[in-house]
Amino acid sequence: MPESPYTDAMEFSEHIKTGNVEDVVLRRPFHQPTKGTLCVTGHHLIFSDRDGHNSQPFLLLIRNIDAIDKSVENLLGYSKLFSSTGPSQRFDISVTPCVPSASSGTITLKCKDLCVLQLDIPGMEECLNIASSIESLSSLETASEMYPFFHRPAGLVLQDKWGLSSTEQDYAGMKELHDRWRLSYVNRDFSVCPSYPPAVIVPHSIDDETLLKVAKFRQGGRFPVLCYHHEKNGMVIMRSSQPLTGTNKKRCKEDELLLQAVIDGSDLGYIIDTRSPQQAQQARMTGGGFESKSNYSGWKRLNRQLERGKVLQESLIKLVEACGDSSHNVDRWLSKLENSKWLSHVQAALAAAGLLAECVERDGHSVLIHGTEGTDTTLLVSSLAQLILDPGSRTLAGFLSLLEREWVQAGHPFQQRCAHSAYSHTRLRHEAPVFVLLLDCVWQLGRQFPLAMGFSEPLLLRLAKEVYASDYGTFLCNSDQERCATGLKERTHCLFQSLLRPSERDLYSNPLFEPTELAIWPCVQPQSLQLWKGLFLRWTDDALHLKEAQEAIQNLVVECRRTLYDYIENIEDRELK
Amino acid sequence: MASASIPAYNSVSPLENRSSQNASRESLKMELLADVTLLPGEERIIGKDIIYMCPFNGALKGKVFITNYRLYFRSVDTDPVMTLNVPLGVIGRVEKMGGASSRGENSYGLDITCKDMRNLRFALKQEGHSRRDIFDILFKYAFPVSHSLTMFAYMSQEKYEENGWNVYKPMEEFRRQGLPNDKWRITFINQSYELCDTYPTILAVPFKASDEDLKKVASFRSRGRIPVLSWIHRENQAVICRCSQPLVGMSGKRNKDDERYLDVIREANGTAKLTIYDARPSVNAVANKATGGGYEGDDAYQNAELVFLDIHNIHVMRESLKKLKDIVFPIVEDSHWLSSLESTHWLEHIKLVISGAIQVADKISGGNSVIVHCSDGWDRTAQLTSLAMLMLDSHYRTLRGFQVLLEKEWISFGHKFASRIGHGDKNYADQDRSPIFVQFIDCVWQMTKQFPTAFEFNERLLITILDHLFSCRFGTFLYNCESVRDTNEVRTKTVSLWSLVNSEASTYQNPFYTPECSRVLYPVASMRHLELWVSYYIRWNPRIRQQQQSPVEQRYMELLALRDEYLKKLEELQLTDSSPNSSHLSNSSTPNATSPTQHITHLHTPL
Repeated sequence: MPESPYTDAMEFSEHIKTGNVEDVVLRRPFHQPTKGTLCVTGHHLIFSDRDGHNSQPFLLLIRNIDAIDKSVENLLGYSKLFSSTGPSQRFDISVTPCVPSASSGTITLKCKDLCVLQLDIPGMEECLNIASSIESLSSLETASEMYPFFHRPAGLVLQDKWGLSSTEQDYAGMKELHDRWRLSYVNRDFSVCPSYPPAVIVPHSIDDETLLKVAKFRQGGRFPVLCYHHEKNGMVIMRSSQPLTGTNKKRCKEDELLLQAVIDGSDLGYIIDTRSPQQAQQARMTGGGFESKSNYSGWKRLNRQLERGKVLQESLIKLVEACGDSSHNVDRWLSKLENSKWLSHVQAALAAAGLLAECVERDGHSVLIHGTEGTDTTLLVSSLAQLILDPGSRTLAGFLSLLEREWVQAGHPFQQRCAHSAYSHTRLRHEAPVFVLLLDCVWQLGRQFPLAMGFSEPLLLRLAKEVYASDYGTFLCNSDQERCATGLKERTHCLFQSLLRPSERDLYSNPLFEPTELAIWPCVQPQSLQLWKGLFLRWTDDALHLKEAQEAIQNLVVECRRTLYDYIENIEDRELK
Repeated sequence: MASASIPAYNSVSPLENRSSQNASRESLKMELLADVTLLPGEERIIGKDIIYMCPFNGALKGKVFITNYRLYFRSVDTDPVMTLNVPLGVIGRVEKMGGASSRGENSYGLDITCKDMRNLRFALKQEGHSRRDIFDILFKYAFPVSHSLTMFAYMSQEKYEENGWNVYKPMEEFRRQGLPNDKWRITFINQSYELCDTYPTILAVPFKASDEDLKKVASFRSRGRIPVLSWIHRENQAVICRCSQPLVGMSGKRNKDDERYLDVIREANGTAKLTIYDARPSVNAVANKATGGGYEGDDAYQNAELVFLDIHNIHVMRESLKKLKDIVFPIVEDSHWLSSLESTHWLEHIKLVISGAIQVADKISGGNSVIVHCSDGWDRTAQLTSLAMLMLDSHYRTLRGFQVLLEKEWISFGHKFASRIGHGDKNYADQDRSPIFVQFIDCVWQMTKQFPTAFEFNERLLITILDHLFSCRFGTFLYNCESVRDTNEVRTKTVSLWSLVNSEASTYQNPFYTPECSRVLYPVASMRHLELWVSYYIRWNPRIRQQQQSPVEQRYMELLALRDEYLKKLEELQLTDSSPNSSHLSNSSTPNATSPTQHITHLHTPL
């Protein structure tokens, strides 16, 4: 059995019925089937090649497993597919142990990174035991039991700084807005807004008393806060949740005051509501609502309906289903792709972000963005708009900081949204691939502007995997409050910090990067958007030559640039002499 | 590089602000008179005030000029100025729209259907039969063949450094392939087009087959298009042969000479089983028996296997592209884009053609000779052989090699360009028209997308070829076959498209081209990896970002230019360094010293 750091089996022993099986055959995409030893630990499946010529064992985070299908075959060759609820009692488990090879089982593991693996396990009992161990372990939901709390890699020290920056640092970096904006610690103990970080940036003229009242008027206490300041013209992007106007059109003077303070001195601001006008109207029935024209006279509302929640999750499921159809004659592929509606969600998100950026950069107005809760589509649109506008967010470090600020600290409920992915049989609760949608939109931006981003597709792919199952604590929990309560920042390592280490940096940097100060306006017509094959067809299509060609082109450009620098340097040296 | 054109996210946006233009109205009018640079031999026929009904920007007032080569429109009061430059050859149909009594603004005028995925509509004042003269002139000059006029290609006086007619020399090309050899000979039996009037004069045939044999085989192949060699694999000597269908007919006729002939081809490199790729769906092949055609039956051709490639005929392709045009012009179908695209079946047809060619190339790589045919052997057959040759032979992926491939497999082997395109012919509904060649160029484009470093030429070449497929400015694509071209003295009286292309070769070069001689390219023909060629089919729509050149390619070209510039500078410095008398250097170096750093600032990567 392989030794630590993966053997944390002790603490999870009650879940593990069989820890070790020999002669298991592992089948995975792009690899020959291999025979070896399978080992179940508290957080991993470890598969070691029997011949040992693959020195690295194959390691799979159990957290990564989205669904298990198992089928067993007994002596008579009688096979049956079990539902994931467990083995049927009709089976005679007591098959004579002297002919173990006669009975066997197959476990199909469908992972959250969309990979599908298969394990052929000799012995029906072992197979069922392994399956139920995996089921049991993969359904653990307490954050502090998860692997990031046990992951102790060499070269990283827990005392390292967790996270890339803080609201305080961000604020300190934006000197030019200090006269109009201030830091507020009204949420220092998370009592005003459980999903906000302790410090937020608000208009200078609005005191904490007022904020308390505004928070009561916004769903989940998410009062409007600053998330981006556009240096070129001083305009800002604010985000919040919906106002709680309700059926009787309640008002909140303080809320109106706060927004008035945002556009103080200019005549107009835009509110982009990520719901349709009808949805916004309907929200009043359940206590929510929108900012009425009469009460917010300086603000103009624009509605851009974005799907969220279940609709988005089902879209992902349909898309993955279409992509996983490996039959050679992919019939009606384009219809299936369209029916999944995934690309129209991408389009809607990019178009809304484009609109927001247009308001700020070209029209010169500040914008407040919100939908219902302000934790999903709001963050999606605000972060995409920042990528369009802000060159600083397009570097590798800048992008990771953006994700940390606009998603982790801003309270996107990662644990709820990413509990399951596209394969899960369990009933959906709060799952929604909003973050994956963001990554897809960013990929589209990168495809349309291949020189403008400091990071590359491998980073987006890595993030798409990490958000569902990770060695790091970054995407655990739903809010800063929960992170503090579990001691996450002291007891886990930070993914973003790790990605910025020199050894990792090279893997995720875009070699073609040439920063531009200009805004990058994406084309959003369906003809300009493409399926993100790198993610969705990663395990089904092996178009190796496409990857090779991409690398060849990068190398040509990089090489040419290097030669040019050499010449320039050489010339400068000579001229200095 | 970034925001060249800003797409609108909000169609009814209050945020639209248009960039103003500095040219004054006055200067525009000055330009208007002078801005049409006519080609040598081009003559202006008429000029007229007109309204162009732009599908994207609404009615635009302006002036239209018609020459013996083109229709040129220039708006007078738009900002920026809008122009149309349409070779008359592109025009497929001209119709009168509305009558003298039609009501409604701009309802009286002309409707022009183009062969290149767009339509044009012009409106005129209703009084005094104002459209009569322009309609008559357009109708006459757009369809010279129907009016017994000469096509512009014969009037052009263009001169180029290179004579493109010399690009393809059949004997040279055969020699390049290592022919003749002990198994294959060159025959001049078709010198005066007696064996087959749609074949070229010089053919490569099995050494063992005598000219008498060829004549006998010709009697059993549709229009005498006997199996001849298109390409031979240098190492394994496997060959691609092309031909038309055998004349089997309802009675299931056999022909011993044809059977023996195919066996001779098989034997030439010791192939155990000759593979015959019939491009058609098997149903169609069977149906062809009724009109005297058919396919090679198992009994008759015992050492051959027959594979049907399921590619549909010219009529299906024509309808498919028509449907595609419907969803991209004038309005691009947005709400159900993918399923609309699917329902045109265009990409599906592309897939079948490419995967057919892959099968041919794969057989050849494996050392087995193949025969390719469809019904007549000038449409689908040309697509399959030329694509397979493009996959197998890197020479055809060079700028000049590609020209040779087109000259050889398409032009000399009698793809009926005149019938398929309808050059100068007013019969727009002619059932012989079909975008087979466009489809082939699309397949080539798909390959260049999948192998961006393997082709010496770029997308611009492909689009230029398609533009001049219709334009009638060059003789290259005129007429149906070599014999007719000879009669009409195309080579002496017209200019070749390759004269233009090779005189400005750098325009058509792919900067990423990395020659790899022995590599066989196998594109992925899966629907998931085929793309619609947006920058060709939807290029008229200003709302779709035009990216004929990818930003990376653009940047790389700039970097290459800068690199060369600095290399030159460096070499100059090295020269002056080595010469003892360089006192002036200190003077000139000061202004120079700043320029490199300027360049660096926008090049510099912060990582």
